[in-house]
Amino acid sequence: MTPYWDEEEPEEDAAGTMVRPYTITHGRTAPERDDFSLITVLTTAGEPLDEHGVPLRAGRLQPEHRMILDRCRRPAAVAEVAAGLDLPVSVTKILLADLVGQGLLLARAPLTVARASGGADMGLLAAVRDGLRRL
Amino acid sequence: MTTSQTAPAAVKILVAGGFGVGKTTLVGAVSEVAPLRTEEYLTKASVGVDDLAGIGQKDTTTVALDFGRITVSPELVVYLFGTPGQERFWFMWNDLVNGALGGVVIADTRRLDTSFASIDFFESRDIPFVVAINCFHGHNTRTAEEIRAALDLDPHVPLLIGDVRLRPFGRDVLLALVDHLMSLPAAAG
Repeated sequence: MTPYWDEEEPEEDAAGTMVRPYTITHGRTAPERDDFSLITVLTTAGEPLDEHGVPLRAGRLQPEHRMILDRCRRPAAVAEVAAGLDLPVSVTKILLADLVGQGLLLARAPLTVARASGGADMGLLAAVRDGLRRL
Repeated sequence: MTTSQTAPAAVKILVAGGFGVGKTTLVGAVSEVAPLRTEEYLTKASVGVDDLAGIGQKDTTTVALDFGRITVSPELVVYLFGTPGQERFWFMWNDLVNGALGGVVIADTRRLDTSFASIDFFESRDIPFVVAINCFHGHNTRTAEEIRAALDLDPHVPLLIGDVRLRPFGRDVLLALVDHLMSLPAAAG
């Protein structure tokens, strides 16, 4: 019989993650603001750059923050940013909130389409229909 | 000249159905990018008092969401989210449902029962939906009427039969959803 101390411990981070996700957020598990949805669209704000093209206020930013700012030069939804960073949505939202809070990132909330509040308007639906027809 | 572009508005459509029924396949067929995958942690704190049966003793687990996008215009993007198939993750849908235009329920005639719960969910949340019967296995010996009866489908809910791997079918399913949305009486002004 195998003595218990010979039993192998499951290796941590076997999937190859080098940094535990909440280390990136300094242990924070909730964003500063809680109004991000999966399809909130983010756009990097125009920001002052120094002579090397580095954002002037980037001193306190982590690599992930910079990756987000780079990614969102073309508008991207929260879900897309998370997929691109390979981070869970909840961790991504914390980082996004940091950047929105500093004015480096602009957030656009999804359109209101709930049936209870009148549903999507006809103009929106017609635009979607026209777009789909081009597929 | 400003360096920040104006962000497009975003809406989403949910693609639901039983496990392995072809949700991600349909998303991939119509999306302009290969389906992306994102993960969300579920912790005991975040699930609150929801049923943890099946999650077992783990403190955290992850749920994967596959999604795609269709840029309708520079001002408007439609995101398509395949919803987690396992019933135990359905409390997540509350977040997914927020801001959803409508839904697509994919069903397989050999096991229609696996899509009952998706239909119930959309009906109970007043989310308009269409049903797409996927027959990529070439097994469809049932008529639309038989399927409607088996699913106990409301007569006004569109039902389409086709192969979700094909973009034209995926497009037709989404167009049927939009037409359905346009035909609904406005809930308010």
